Amino acid sequence: MEGKVGVFICHCGGNISDYVDVEKVKEAISGLPGVVVSTTTMFACSDAAQQEIIDSIEDEGLDGIVVASCSPKLHLHTFRGVAARAGLNPYRYVHVNIREQCSWAHRKDRDAATEKAVALIRAGVARALRSESLERFRVETRPSVLVVGAGISGLRSALALSEMGLSVTIVEREEEPGGFFRKVRNAYPGGLDGREVVDSLLSEVAARENITLFTGAQVVEKKGTVGDFQVKIRVSDGSTVTLLVGAVLLATGFEPYEPAPGEFGFGHPRVVRLPEFLELLDGGRGMSLLKDGDTVAFIYCVGSRGTKGCEEARPGDYCSRYCCGAAVHTACRLAEVFPGVSQYHLFRDMRTYGKLEALYEEASREGAVFLRFPGDSPPAVVPDGERLLVRSKDTLLGGEEVEIAADLVVLVTGMVPRENSGLVEVFKVPVGRDGFFNEVHPKLRPVETVIDGVFIVGAGQGPKTAQEAVASALAGSAKCASLLLKGYVELEPFVAEVDRDLCEWCGECEKVCPYGAIRQVHCEGKEVAEIVPALCKGGGSCVPACPKGAIDLAGFRDSQIRAMIDALAGGGA
Amino acid sequence: MTSRVDPKVKEEVQRFGARDLSLCFNCGTCTATCPLSAEGPSFPRKIIHLLQVGLREELLSSPEPWLCYYCGECSTSCPREANPGETMMSARRWLIASYDCTGISRKIYTSRVWEWGLIAAASLLVVLLFAIFHGPIVTDRVALNTFAPVEWISLADHVAALFALSILGTNALRMARSILGKNGVSPLAFVRALPVFFVNLFTQKRWKECGESQREWILHLLLVASYVGMMVIIIFFLSWFQTDEIHPFFHPQRLVGYAIAAIMMVVPILFMRGRVRRDKEIHRFSHPTDWTFLILLFLIALTGILVHVFRISGMPEATYAAYVIHLAVDAPWVLVIVPFGKWTHIVYRPFALYLLAVKEYSLREAVEGQPETA
Repeated sequence: MEGKVGVFICHCGGNISDYVDVEKVKEAISGLPGVVVSTTTMFACSDAAQQEIIDSIEDEGLDGIVVASCSPKLHLHTFRGVAARAGLNPYRYVHVNIREQCSWAHRKDRDAATEKAVALIRAGVARALRSESLERFRVETRPSVLVVGAGISGLRSALALSEMGLSVTIVEREEEPGGFFRKVRNAYPGGLDGREVVDSLLSEVAARENITLFTGAQVVEKKGTVGDFQVKIRVSDGSTVTLLVGAVLLATGFEPYEPAPGEFGFGHPRVVRLPEFLELLDGGRGMSLLKDGDTVAFIYCVGSRGTKGCEEARPGDYCSRYCCGAAVHTACRLAEVFPGVSQYHLFRDMRTYGKLEALYEEASREGAVFLRFPGDSPPAVVPDGERLLVRSKDTLLGGEEVEIAADLVVLVTGMVPRENSGLVEVFKVPVGRDGFFNEVHPKLRPVETVIDGVFIVGAGQGPKTAQEAVASALAGSAKCASLLLKGYVELEPFVAEVDRDLCEWCGECEKVCPYGAIRQVHCEGKEVAEIVPALCKGGGSCVPACPKGAIDLAGFRDSQIRAMIDALAGGGA
Repeated sequence: MTSRVDPKVKEEVQRFGARDLSLCFNCGTCTATCPLSAEGPSFPRKIIHLLQVGLREELLSSPEPWLCYYCGECSTSCPREANPGETMMSARRWLIASYDCTGISRKIYTSRVWEWGLIAAASLLVVLLFAIFHGPIVTDRVALNTFAPVEWISLADHVAALFALSILGTNALRMARSILGKNGVSPLAFVRALPVFFVNLFTQKRWKECGESQREWILHLLLVASYVGMMVIIIFFLSWFQTDEIHPFFHPQRLVGYAIAAIMMVVPILFMRGRVRRDKEIHRFSHPTDWTFLILLFLIALTGILVHVFRISGMPEATYAAYVIHLAVDAPWVLVIVPFGKWTHIVYRPFALYLLAVKEYSLREAVEGQPETA
């Protein structure tokens, strides 16, 4: 291969050089064909070192560079920037990770770590020599957003987006907007009435000219790409409406876990879920249910953390976050309405995090008794005439079993995602094992999905309190707006390409593409596959699926990968 | 074994003083700081938990409350300020009431009307008995044994002591049945463990390990020694103690009397001062019955001294009156406080240790016995 490559080997202070003989690596690399610069540097990411790389590129007229340093997650963009500043196409830069993959992984074997570093850099050089100049491409965006779900998250997002000048369409499946929070009569703190909160949001939504709300409506089809989606919805009268939007925000929320029949006595008239109990309590109907001297037993973690009340139960593996707080808040409410009722709270772990801790203390001050049961041995509920016997192991008594004769059992049920299979089908958003939408990065990109332009907010992404749901709704709105207000989006150039001469449309590639980026087109008298660049993520699953070998991926071409494998195996660069 | 919870236990024990029981979140700091918790990971934490949850049977069969001497380390270090020390104290009051088959203890602890009503009734009984049965009132000299013949008083003492002892014995048996449970206990163990009872009854030696200051233990030991000594004298040697003849100052009768009277005056004053100042954890919370206990003790000593002063001063009427008052203060002590009130802890504490020893001996015998039978 022709071309000149510069290799820069980083000490990373001593992070690398303490365990990898970087001088030896430099020597081994410098003799490779095409390598015109092979040097070591204390910190490749330092300003001075970056300038040295730029000088090398300019002085030597390099066609490609390799920096052997840390993980690309840390500095890939740094060195792409270095290439760009030197006038080199950033995609002719190759990152080799010899810190995590060599020095950290093989601390006790310096020779082997050094040998591995040489092999990895050799592969990097092989790739750099075959790298090509690629350009990011732009897609124009529409200043409008589709919000799916008119719960507290969806409504709050819509208002935030509208404030930023974007027009919003809200689509709600139910006839009545407001979601779960509408049913909450007495929210912590301050005894907020959920209906009032929702009504105030709705009246504001109604006052905005750039928000349209459809209730009893469903999304049926999505076409297009980030910045330019065409979404078809079926509205309440059965007709369909096509919306042109730049982004989609999914705010589909949750529903309370429905216990299996018989799970913790569920089905017995005196076994109720927490939301129903609250409706009774706050709606005043609890008066007929309880009297002074009665005993109420609360069972926590029903439907959460894999707590199985019976064989048929299908609880989530996650913690539902809101339930401990909601249950201790209910304890305070119950003590207020029925001071003469005894309360036993059977919990697994008390997770009244943050400001909710004050409620836990208040509940115990009010006389609620808390008993911890082991996670692998949850309580059992046995009907006994008018009452229910709740038997639970008490961890503080070394697992000894205690029995509570309860007049009412409240199941503190967790959150499960709404039934969203249709929506998942339409938007192709990934869903986790637990049924909640999956974000790209659990910490750094919590409201984005792998589908550009589709965001997930509220409890549809994972269990959240109302406050947390709204915080995520506002985060999602901000991400939406930063995407759309610029007017265009720039996408990575790692896009699959179809060789139309080789392609004889069989549809295999379309089947394996998780992003729906491949479509069938008629071209020069035959059916062939076409890649929609804006949808393609460069995942590469289509490449091996093609029986004709007609697909290649820019930036990760077969020829590049083969050369890397050869180099790794000891062959020439 | 499954135990049924009883929500009423918590309310009940709150009436015995455990005001802050609800605050405990079972962190175990009390156990970590307790100087006596070496034996297990759950003292006193477990008792607090049992009270919260309301496991009545478990509580009745727990000797732990009697093993706590209230140094107050737990209350000082409790992050919730739930006063576990005072909760243990309340548990003891509640247990005294729960073991009492007559129900009178419960009344005394939960009702001031009942408490002082019974005290007044016992006093009134003494006054009435004297009004009806007193001997001739000699006024030209002090003739106490004519006014109140020793043999009659002695008889009354024996009746009262027998009453107190039978109540205490019955209730202690109830305690033993709860704590020993249904598990087989070897009869020999009851005998072998006896020294534990008597050593602890007279020394309360476990208290020495509780907390850094031994002052409370020494004061308490002095007080117990003096009034137990006084009781022994009154019940068995009254004719030696109650004489019309005035012995010289250095006569053992007078010296013993003075020593006991001094201790029984001074120590209750020190304890009352502590309860007013609340300068120690043990004195921070005072149940009304704690005051009754100290006040009666003080009055017994005071009236006893008055009788003596009037007697040696040759004031017959004053001596007789003081004597009636003295017995009118003594009677509530022997008839109410000793069998039903706070005094019972003098018996329950060593008895709980005794029962633990019985269990241990039985267990050891079972283990040692096995190789022989096998």
